[in-house]
Amino acid sequence: MAIIPLKDDDGQVEHIYREKTDKRILKKNPWRDYRLHVTVLILVVIAELIGTQKIPITGDVAITIMPLIYTIVLGLVFYLAKPITWIQRKQARIAEGAMMLFIGVLIAKLAVSSGQSIHLIFEMGPALILQELGHLATILVLPIALLLGFKEEAIGMTNSIGREPNVAVVVDKYGFNSPESRGVFAIFIIGTVIGTIFISFLVTMSLSFLPLHPYAFAMASGVGSASMNAAAIGPTLAAFPGLESQIEAFAGFSNLLSFCVGIYIVIFVAIPLTEKMYNWLEPKIGKDSIAKKGDE
Amino acid sequence: MPELIDEPVDVSVHGVFNWILLLSIFSIITVVGNYMGYRHPIYDSLIGMAILSGITLIGVWLERRLPLNISSIIYISLIGIFLAFPGVPTSETVLYYVSKIELLSIVTVFLAYVGIGIGKSWDEFKALGWKAIIVTVLVIASTYLGSAIVAHIVLVMTGVPV
Repeated sequence: MAIIPLKDDDGQVEHIYREKTDKRILKKNPWRDYRLHVTVLILVVIAELIGTQKIPITGDVAITIMPLIYTIVLGLVFYLAKPITWIQRKQARIAEGAMMLFIGVLIAKLAVSSGQSIHLIFEMGPALILQELGHLATILVLPIALLLGFKEEAIGMTNSIGREPNVAVVVDKYGFNSPESRGVFAIFIIGTVIGTIFISFLVTMSLSFLPLHPYAFAMASGVGSASMNAAAIGPTLAAFPGLESQIEAFAGFSNLLSFCVGIYIVIFVAIPLTEKMYNWLEPKIGKDSIAKKGDE
Repeated sequence: MPELIDEPVDVSVHGVFNWILLLSIFSIITVVGNYMGYRHPIYDSLIGMAILSGITLIGVWLERRLPLNISSIIYISLIGIFLAFPGVPTSETVLYYVSKIELLSIVTVFLAYVGIGIGKSWDEFKALGWKAIIVTVLVIASTYLGSAIVAHIVLVMTGVPV
């Protein structure tokens, strides 16, 4: 299992990031693994050389593919490609630990934009706060999960986006070996592998086809996962030239809100709601359990 | 389960030294990408990355140093907002240099590490069925669209011009 979110004795669930970072980068002198960083540099250079590509679909709608997509896909390809022997599990672990530190730089950049546009943050306060409740829409996926044959797993799967803090909450509430935890682990792992790439395409499509306010796209990108947040802002910035600092400000602040209050919305609203809906819907549309073959 | 969280690691000089080195490596790669993509002056960009790395370092250090259970992300956000707050003496300098670093340059480098890091979960990923993949994709889409639509409705209702 990739990550074992555990509470320590005094029940502090948020320590997962910190412990992972410390274990990976404090003890192992990660900078000595220079080939990892040289590889990243090469990936970045390749990505910037290719540059942003626009693929037109219809007359005035185009899909934008940005360098950030090349680096994440190439990173994964480099890990999986057999001939590349210097990027292995160890380097992936270091990359993951280093990532936890580098999130900080990204957050700092967003925070500087938020500080610069602080008056906007106050003006848009209601929208910023209420959009956090929009994340509850994950519960709407519950009926589909039931129709696909999931049982209690579905509660773990659809109460939230299933990133580290959410995994910790579910494991804490239902226990490590519960079906609910199996569900959230599945979402966590799949989200880790395809989430960032998927959300960047989702955002690109939404920008092309949904006539929403630019600020709404900016606020929505704070989904509670730093890498998904990063991937979601990219196309949004490109779609609204001239609004960069506002978009960064809203994205940064909404991400901050997700971290501060998002977890409480999950604990006090999302999980109880998901359970209610499960108890109501499961007898109506539940199928035979597929947990044994589908989840292990 | 080899990755069970055990004893907390104290912040040693060694640790801080590692962080500084890693952040320097990250900064250099970002500045290279930033120069290739946007032609911002290298010297100014380096100062911009030094400011951002400094904020990160303080945030990460505070997280481990203060007895509060608060994520470094919150410290970093608060420090960043404060330094750029209109009227604060640092604001103009910070804004000038940090504006030389495009957010997308940072994201591009960051996601390269993410890409390599997610390779590790590949085997677990393959073991999960297509049904779980469908649910994940729908969950991510609904959380994003849910929040975008609520934000849009509130923005329109409060009369925010596009």
